[in-house]
Amino acid sequence: MASLREMQNAFATAMRDPTAPCPVRPAGNLSIYRNNSTLSFRAALESSFPVVRKRVGDDYFRQLCTHYRARYPSRSGDLHWVGRDFSAFLLEHLHGSEYAWLADLARLEWSREQASISRIEAALTAEVLANFGPGQLEHLVFSLQPSLALLASDFPVFTVWQANQFNDAPPVNQSVGSECGMVRMRIDGLEVRQLAPGPFSYLSALRAGAPLGEAISSAGLDQDGVVSALGFVFAEGLVCALKDGRSEKREL
Amino acid sequence: MPRLEARGVREPIPARAGIGLRAVHHEALIADRPSVGWIEAHTENYFHEGGPAVRALERARANYPLSLHGVGLGLGSADGVDREHLSRVKRAIARFEPSLVSEHACWGHAGGEFFNDLLPLPHTEEAAMLLARQVDEAQDFLGTRLLIENVSAYVTFEHSRLHEWEFLSAVAATSGCGLLLDVNNIYVTSQNLGIDAHAFIHGIPIGSVGEIHLAGHTRNGSVLIDDHGSQVCEEVWRLYRQAVDRFGAVPTLVEWDTNVPALATLVAESRRADLILGEARGLAA
Repeated sequence: MASLREMQNAFATAMRDPTAPCPVRPAGNLSIYRNNSTLSFRAALESSFPVVRKRVGDDYFRQLCTHYRARYPSRSGDLHWVGRDFSAFLLEHLHGSEYAWLADLARLEWSREQASISRIEAALTAEVLANFGPGQLEHLVFSLQPSLALLASDFPVFTVWQANQFNDAPPVNQSVGSECGMVRMRIDGLEVRQLAPGPFSYLSALRAGAPLGEAISSAGLDQDGVVSALGFVFAEGLVCALKDGRSEKREL
Repeated sequence: MPRLEARGVREPIPARAGIGLRAVHHEALIADRPSVGWIEAHTENYFHEGGPAVRALERARANYPLSLHGVGLGLGSADGVDREHLSRVKRAIARFEPSLVSEHACWGHAGGEFFNDLLPLPHTEEAAMLLARQVDEAQDFLGTRLLIENVSAYVTFEHSRLHEWEFLSAVAATSGCGLLLDVNNIYVTSQNLGIDAHAFIHGIPIGSVGEIHLAGHTRNGSVLIDDHGSQVCEEVWRLYRQAVDRFGAVPTLVEWDTNVPALATLVAESRRADLILGEARGLAA
């Protein structure tokens, strides 16, 4: 008699290949399991990438799902992770074509997906800066909201995403140029926002753990830009904790 | 091996009807606070640190006893159990403090690929012992007894040697787990594969059933599909009465996962189960 492992391997092969033998009866009913599994996989991708789906249409999206599944089958019993490699797949699959930009759109949508399940920490206000002397400010290291994602693209994916939040979205000229922005979770819902390059660089540096002075320098901000950038992170509730990067002792 | 029971702070699931927690009902459940005995949530939907779903469950949990029902562990998989997934289940248990935790008598992955469906097991000694061992290990890791549910089947394995009820009984006896008897799944499997639903119910040991599920199904040609997308049919209500006659008043969940109706409709469906349970408690008094 075949072992349990052999039976399950045969079943798994038959799930991928309807012509493969499997020791069950009626064998025709394997199609029910095949169908269930396919529909679950596709539904997870439709849920995670609604704008990609809208841009390519249902028929082509289904084809992409099929190819994606063959290349990146589900590796978890938790359907949430099905779309984890979809952006990488689109980069491979559409490389060199006029649709290569969809990979970055998928990256934005996956960031949204991840932000939606992240916790929201209590935010510090700018008043906390009063706890630090003037000489300490440039050394401050920030902990930012765990849901915050920062993305840069050679394509106008933030404009495309925003435009497709409405029906009858007009096509966006992909040659408009590069865009950058952020995705984060607020109490009242998800936020997707395009940022200017300066604030994007500054936030990226802070996010990577660079102290404030270094983050400001890397973004090439002038005095007005510094005030605006510092005000921005606190006004947007992005700061969860602060510490003097030179010392492990004091953290707020 | 002794089973660790749920921590004492968790109120027991009453022998009443409960309803499944569905995203479309989150706000209504909080606002209306319908009188249902308890709620059940799909464990995998609440693995994450934040988001509207976990916030809704936290609010609902404050008002109702909770059962966590998993669909992704594939405890009957010959390739073993995903330890990361099991850890997430453990964190969910710690966070939401359910009074019942359940999974399925199925497998879900082979060769590294997960099929995200409840795949049927051959009813062999080997499969029963593997499932029992992996249920036993999961119970030890999670620190709680599990209830294991019978799944709807559309195929039978040529190598099966046991009746499904013998298979489940062996798993329960060996691992110390309880059983979650899905009466709709018994009906669907009996119609699809020609097994005796009455014999199934009477083949499960009294005292082993910790929960019962009821749900709807749909017909697709000659096959019944377990889609949880409609009312419970009269044949399943009749089987349910047989189950309650045999096992007594057991916490009973009314599942409705697709074509989800208004909350009031789901609650009304659960009332019918409450009436049957009430009669059973009256007879037992």
